[in-house]
Amino acid sequence: MSSKSLTLKNVTKKFGSVLALDNFNLEVGVGELVALLGPSGCGKTTALRVVAGLENQDSGNLYVGDKDLSETPAHKRNMGMVFQAYSLFPNLTVEENVAFGLQMRKVSKHERKKKAESLLELVGLPTQGQRFTYQLSGGQQQRVALARALAFEPEILLLDEPLSALDAQVRVNLREEIRRLQLSLGTTTLFVTHDQEEAMAISDRVGVMSHGQLEQIDTPDTLYNKPATSFVASFVGTMNRIPTQLSDGQVQLFGKNFPALKSSNESGSVIALIRPESIGITAGSQDHNAKVLTRLFMGASSNIVCQAIDGTIIQSLMSSNESGDLHPGSEVKLEVLNKEVLVTNA
Amino acid sequence: MKRRIDIPLVATLSVLGFFVFIPMLSAFEFSIRTPLKGGYGWDQYIWAVTEEDFMHYILRSGWLAAVTVVITLLILVPTLTWLHLSQSKIRPLIDGLSLLPLVIPVVAFAVGAQISFPEFMQNTVLELPFLYFVLALPYAYRSLDIGLSSIPLKTLTEAARSTGANWLKTITAVIIPVIRGAVMATVALTFALSLGEYTLTVLLHWDTFPTWVTYVAQENLLGAIAISMMSLIIPFLVLTGLTLLAPERSAQRRK
Ligand SMILES: Nc1ncnc2c1ncn2[C@@H]1O[C@H](COP(=O)(O)OP(=O)(O)OP(=O)(O)O)[C@@H](O)[C@H]1O
Ligand SMILES: [Mg+2]
Repeated sequence: MSSKSLTLKNVTKKFGSVLALDNFNLEVGVGELVALLGPSGCGKTTALRVVAGLENQDSGNLYVGDKDLSETPAHKRNMGMVFQAYSLFPNLTVEENVAFGLQMRKVSKHERKKKAESLLELVGLPTQGQRFTYQLSGGQQQRVALARALAFEPEILLLDEPLSALDAQVRVNLREEIRRLQLSLGTTTLFVTHDQEEAMAISDRVGVMSHGQLEQIDTPDTLYNKPATSFVASFVGTMNRIPTQLSDGQVQLFGKNFPALKSSNESGSVIALIRPESIGITAGSQDHNAKVLTRLFMGASSNIVCQAIDGTIIQSLMSSNESGDLHPGSEVKLEVLNKEVLVTNA
Repeated sequence: MKRRIDIPLVATLSVLGFFVFIPMLSAFEFSIRTPLKGGYGWDQYIWAVTEEDFMHYILRSGWLAAVTVVITLLILVPTLTWLHLSQSKIRPLIDGLSLLPLVIPVVAFAVGAQISFPEFMQNTVLELPFLYFVLALPYAYRSLDIGLSSIPLKTLTEAARSTGANWLKTITAVIIPVIRGAVMATVALTFALSLGEYTLTVLLHWDTFPTWVTYVAQENLLGAIAISMMSLIIPFLVLTGLTLLAPERSAQRRK
């Protein structure tokens, strides 16, 4: 495979006074799919565009394999890109769109046709080659865009929210297809999204960005279970934020002490971060400490929203079987099921 | 669907008919009169095409117009693409400047241009296409500007570049085909304007088809009108031919 690793070193990019990338570092291994995730305006698109050469970084370097591409113009970088907006060439047929990159690389007409056909087959559009792009649905257009980006066997594949304009169902199908294709072709891929579920579902690793920097990059599991910062903790998945006191490295929650993770020894008011699935609920207990506000049935699991005695709103995620007898107004006993607890400054 | 009368359309066509078609038809009627024999005939047209200078001047004006078209596209397409992509603050300024040829009197423009051209350009008829370009600028600029505004230029450009097209290829293989309608309109406008330009050409003492027609008109008014009719119809046929010859992709859209 022609795939290579991708490295960004100390990349900085300013737009006027906005620091879009701030000493940004990133490494994507050969054949790996890394998603960049983060709130709007954190610099995800800018990072991708700098990699593609569509934006020039103010400082810092970019390597593909061990080649320094920092100053290489976009059309010589050999990277395939799929855009958020529909970007097919309206003057060309579907097949000509897919073959465009090969045409630019002076591949013979016969070869181009063969390759375009095989890619259209791969993205599930084997019979659409002679149509024009305006005759396709949004999902089909993005499939063609993906085929176009892959046809010339790029060293890197770049995807900037390619699914965000599509319907929920199409989005889920297509993201799985992207992953399947990426795995079978082994193309090193950088995928930008603000949909954390999407990022977690298809990536080898997810990079969480904030303010032009990478806060943490890890496998989806590590990111979810061991967030390195409170920003990552609250950005990835849902977190209960429970005010409490820290002393001697311990916090007290619902009458029990837990060792605090990643904290200094100072004491005082902190906020404990607990996932909904780590909150246990017992009904009918004598020493109740909360009241059920609502129960949201979601199929196999249910989301129970409670209010603790001190007024804090706490969410719990339980199996629907176990939570069947919880109703609004039920008095319940909450407990934390973790061994250790992540805390952040109040 | 119920058929109804499209009032604006009818009004436009009526005005157009009144100011364009009636004069043209009258001129045509006039040109096929045969005052000596009475009645009508093609005498003046036969006279015109057998006149030895006819071909000479129509070809000369034809290639001058073609050169003007090439110059216009070479200058305007990259410039406007750049202006649109860079979201430059000077774009409104350039928009305004492109209108100047409409307000500058041709006499002032001719004299000014003559002085500012380098000497070697002043003695060749090739100076005319550059001047015609300026005269056609307000129209050509608007037409291309609208064409570029109507497409997702940034996305298409970036898609082309990241797929491996350099700037030249991006313009020739993507941008121009996508705004084909606007480009054809620019070609037609520029070609027609160059072919019919009279004032500036005379001021600079060049002989082209329109100046020759005026000259002929002094001797044979009916013949001059016949020639003018042909000079209207020939470019029309040429342009229609061009439009039909070029592979029309957007037509398939309507199928
Ligand atoms: N061309 C530009 N000119 C000026 N500022 C820009 C430009 N592009 C991006 N920015 C700014 O840089 C910052 C990062 O933008 P970027 O598009 O990378 O964010 P993002 O993470 O992709 O956000 P989103 O999720 O909304 O797409 C933002 O504050 C944005 O306003
Ligand atoms: Mg973005």
